[in-house]
Amino acid sequence: MLAPLSWLKEYVDTKLSPRELGDRLTEVGLSTEKIIKDKDDIIFEFEITPNRPDLLSILGIAQEIAAIEGKSIKHFKGVNINLSLKKILPLKIQTDPKINPRFTGIIIDGITVKESPKWLSERLIKIGQRPISNIVDITNYVMLELGNPIHAFDYNKIKGAAMRVHQTKGEERFTSVDGISYHLPKNAVVISDDEKIIDLCGIKGGENTGIYEKTKTIFIRVPVEVPSLIRRASLSLGLRSEASSIFERGVNAGGTLNALQRCVNLVLEIAGGKIASNIYDIKKEEFNPWRLDLSLEKLKNVLGISIAESKILKILENLNLSPEKISKGTIRTEIPTYRNDLKAEEDLIEEVARIYGYNNFPKTIPSGQTPVKPPPYYRDYRLEEKVKNIFKEAGFSEIYTYSLISEKDLTDNEMDPDKTLRVDNPVSREFEYLRPTLMINLKKAVALNKPNFEDINLFELGKVYRGANLDKKEESYFLSGISTKMNFVKVKGVIERLFEELGIKEDPSQYVEAIEEGIFFELNYDEFSEKINLNKTFKPIPKYPPIKEDLALMMADKIKTGDIIREIKDQSPLIREVSLLEKFQNIRTFHIVYQNPRRNLTSGEVEKIRERILVRLKTKLKIKPKD
Amino acid sequence: MEEELIQIKNSAVSLILETKDQKELEELKIRFIGRGGRLTLAIKEIPKLTLEKRPDIGRLANEVKKSIEDAISSQEYRLRETKTKKIREEIDRTEPGIKPNIGHLHPLSQVLYDVVDVFKSLGFQAADGPEIETDYYNFEALNIPKDHPARDTQQTFYLDTRNSKVEPGEIILRTQTSAMQARVMEKAKPPVRVIVPGKNFRYEQVDASHGFEFWHCEGFLVDTNVKLTDLFGTIDYVLKKLMGENIKIKFATTNFPFVEPGVDTYVQCTVCQGKARLPNGQGCGFCKMSGWSEIMPAGMIHPNVLKAVKYNPKEVSGFAFAIGLSRLATLRYQMNDLRLLTNPDLRILEQF
Repeated sequence: MLAPLSWLKEYVDTKLSPRELGDRLTEVGLSTEKIIKDKDDIIFEFEITPNRPDLLSILGIAQEIAAIEGKSIKHFKGVNINLSLKKILPLKIQTDPKINPRFTGIIIDGITVKESPKWLSERLIKIGQRPISNIVDITNYVMLELGNPIHAFDYNKIKGAAMRVHQTKGEERFTSVDGISYHLPKNAVVISDDEKIIDLCGIKGGENTGIYEKTKTIFIRVPVEVPSLIRRASLSLGLRSEASSIFERGVNAGGTLNALQRCVNLVLEIAGGKIASNIYDIKKEEFNPWRLDLSLEKLKNVLGISIAESKILKILENLNLSPEKISKGTIRTEIPTYRNDLKAEEDLIEEVARIYGYNNFPKTIPSGQTPVKPPPYYRDYRLEEKVKNIFKEAGFSEIYTYSLISEKDLTDNEMDPDKTLRVDNPVSREFEYLRPTLMINLKKAVALNKPNFEDINLFELGKVYRGANLDKKEESYFLSGISTKMNFVKVKGVIERLFEELGIKEDPSQYVEAIEEGIFFELNYDEFSEKINLNKTFKPIPKYPPIKEDLALMMADKIKTGDIIREIKDQSPLIREVSLLEKFQNIRTFHIVYQNPRRNLTSGEVEKIRERILVRLKTKLKIKPKD
Repeated sequence: MEEELIQIKNSAVSLILETKDQKELEELKIRFIGRGGRLTLAIKEIPKLTLEKRPDIGRLANEVKKSIEDAISSQEYRLRETKTKKIREEIDRTEPGIKPNIGHLHPLSQVLYDVVDVFKSLGFQAADGPEIETDYYNFEALNIPKDHPARDTQQTFYLDTRNSKVEPGEIILRTQTSAMQARVMEKAKPPVRVIVPGKNFRYEQVDASHGFEFWHCEGFLVDTNVKLTDLFGTIDYVLKKLMGENIKIKFATTNFPFVEPGVDTYVQCTVCQGKARLPNGQGCGFCKMSGWSEIMPAGMIHPNVLKAVKYNPKEVSGFAFAIGLSRLATLRYQMNDLRLLTNPDLRILEQF
C-alpha cells in the first residue's frame, strides 16, 4: 500500500520526520517498507497484515497516525445527497444476502466521460495507479481514500435494466474491463443482466458494461462481499485486485453508504449529471458498531504492567473506539465497523499495548515452574551434537542440503519417481520430489567439490521421506556420509568408533558400501538412536599383567579376516583381544592379548593356547604360521 | 684412611662432572658406590680401625657418600637439561604445524546447539516433529481456517495424493514449526516450556534472504500468569546470549492469527551495521536497506489455540515465538546470502 504524506495530512497533522513516523508506524503494526521522496512529497510504502483491511485506505492509515500523535481525527461523513429527483430510471435488483450481504447503489444520468482533473490524476499516479477516465478514477480514488471498493457500470448496457446476483455453475466465459478473458470457476459470485454476466463480484467488472467515452448513464455499486467466496474465486483464477484484497480480509460493512455519498458528490462535481434513482441499500443486517468490554485487571495480567486508566482511555479514544468507563475496572468500547479485527478482549489489549509502545515495556523473565519431565516428541540434541562431533573429529564435514530433489536425480540413481513422494506445486522441476535417501545430494556435493579438493569427506544428518504413496509415508532422520579417499575399513572404523562411544553392540559393515564416488555409509538415525546405551560402569584396572604377542599367518586371499579373529577368540576365554595388525601379500599379522583377571599368566599357558589356535586354523581354514 | 676417603671423593666428583651421557654416569656410579666400588670397599675397612677413630672416619665416609650421590643426581639433571636444550635448539618455530585432519560442523548446527543451550538455561526442552504435516496442525489448530487470508503469507507445498486415500490439500510440507504447538500441548499439561527446531517449507521464489526451505526454532511457554513482559524479557535474554550483549533489538506489532498481542522482533543488521548501505556505497541487500533484520516473530498465544488443545484460557496463558535459525546463522557470520547455507562447497564449510 502506497500513501503520500500530503494526502495523509488532509486528515491528520504530524510533526514527526518521515523516518520517525515510519519507525513509529512499524512499531504499531503498519510495517514501513520504504520511504520514497517524490518531488515535494513523501510516499510511504507499507506492508499490511491480513487482519487490517482498514489500513488499505488513506483514512485508515491517518487514523493510526492520529493514535500515535495522541490526537483524534474527524471521520468523513458524506454530504447528504439531494434526492429531489426529476427523473427516475428503472432497475430490477435481485440478490441474496448469503452471497452478497450488502448491495448499495445509485444511478446517475447525463454524465460526461473525459479525462480526470489534474489534482485527481496526479494523486493516482503518485500511488502507482494509471488514470483511466474521470468516472473510473473517482471510484478508485474513493476506494483508496475510504477503503470500500466501488464499481461503476454503464447503465445503458445492462440488458433489461436487471441485475441478478448469483453463483456460477463453472466454466462460464467472462471478459474483464481490462479485456482479459476467463473461464470462471464454480461458485464464484457474479452479476448477470437479462443476457450475460456483467460483473465478477469483488474482483473485476465486465468489459461489456464498462465505462467508455460514450457512456452517459452510470450505476454505482458499493457492495459487501463474503470473504471466503471472493478468496476462493480469486485464488482459483489467479486474479488479484485491490478490491479482492479488501473483500477477502473483510470490508467495512458499515461504510458503503458513506463511500457511495463521497463518490456521488465527486461524480456530480467532476463529470456532471443528475441523480436518477433512489439509493438502493439491500441488506439483512444493520451493520452497526459492536460493543467490547475491557477489564483493566485482565489487561494488567496479560501485559504485566499497570497503565494509568486515563492513559488507556486516551489511547482508545484516539483510536476512535469511543471508550466509556462503565464500572470500576471495566471500560466499554464501541468498535467501528471498519475494525473487523477487534472481536475479543485480547484484541483490545493489543490495541492499548501497541499504542503505548512495545519498546516502552519493561522486560521480565518468566517465573513459575520449570518442567522436569521431557515433553512429548522429545529430541536429544546433545546426543545429536555428540554424534556429529565424532564424524567431525574423523575428518568429515557436515552439509545441509534440500529435501526436495528432481526427477532426474532419482532416475540417475535408478530410483522410481512413481514410488517417491512428490509435491503437487513445485517451485521448479529441480525441486519436485522428497528425497528418499541422503546419498543423492552427497554424491552431487562430491561432484561439486571435485575441481578443488581430492580428499572429500562429507556427512549429513537429515530427514528422508519414504513410501510409494502418502498412505505409506515414512519420515525419518538418516545419517549418511561419503569419503573419496578413505578405504572401506577406515570408514567402517569411524562407525565402529561411533558405536563404541554410544554403547551399541553391532557390526557396522552392513551400513557401509563402496559406490562409484567412494565409500558411502547410511544409518537410520531414528532406529540407531533407540539402541544407544550411554550407561557406563567402572571396571577396576586388571591386577595381573597381560601377555601380548603377534602372530603372522599365511593364507589364501579369499579367507575373511573376521572369520579368523572369531576362530582365534573361540580357542580360550583367556584371549582378551584379537586385532589385525598388518596385511601384506598372503601374510596377515594378528595381535593377540592374553589375560587372566584372577592371576598371573605363565608362558606355558599361553603356549598351549597358541598351539590350539594354530591347529584349529590349520584344520578349519588351512592357515599356516609364517616360517 | 681419611686421606683416602677425601681422595675418593675428589676424584669421583671431578669424573662425574666430566661425564657426557647417562651411560658414563652409570659406570661411575658402579665404580665408586656400587657393590664393589671404591668407596664401598673403603667403608668395609672401617671396622678394622681403632675404636677411637671409627666414629670420625665413619662420619667422614657418610659425608663422602652423600657428596658423591649429590654430584651424580645433579649431573643427571644437567645431562637431561642439555639434551632437552639441544632438542629445543633444533626446533624451527616458524615451520607450520601439521594439523590433525578434522572436519567441520555446519554453521547452522553450531547456531542450533547454541540456541538449544540458551533455552535449556531457561528450562526449555527440545521436541521434534514431522515435516510432512496435516493442514490441521499447520493451520487450523493455529486459528487459521481454510479461507483465511493469512495463508497467503505462507504459500504452501501440497503433496501429491496419487494412489492414496488422502484428500487433496490435506497433507502438506509444514510451513512453520509452530505446527508442533498443538501436537505437544495435546499431550502435555501445563507448565509447558518447549522449543522445536526444524526445517520449514514455503513456496517462495529464492533470493538472498528467502528460500523455499529454511530452518526455524519454534518455542512456547504455557503456565499460570504468563505476561507480555515475560515474552519481551525472554526474547531480549535469548538474543543477547546468542548475538552478544551489544546488539540492538526493537519490537513491533504484527499479526499472526495464533497470537494476540502479536510481536515482531528486529535486530540491527550485522551486514551493514544498521546503516542500510555497504561501505562501497551500495544498498545492503540483506536487510533490504532497512538497517534491521526481522528475526523473531512472537506473541501471546491466542485463546482459540489454547481452546483447541483443551486448555482453559481463564486458567493458563502463554507465549510463543520462532527464531529464524537460517537468518541467525547468516547474521552471526555476516553471510550475505541465505543460499550459502545449503551450498556444500568445502571452501565455505571449512571456514566454520
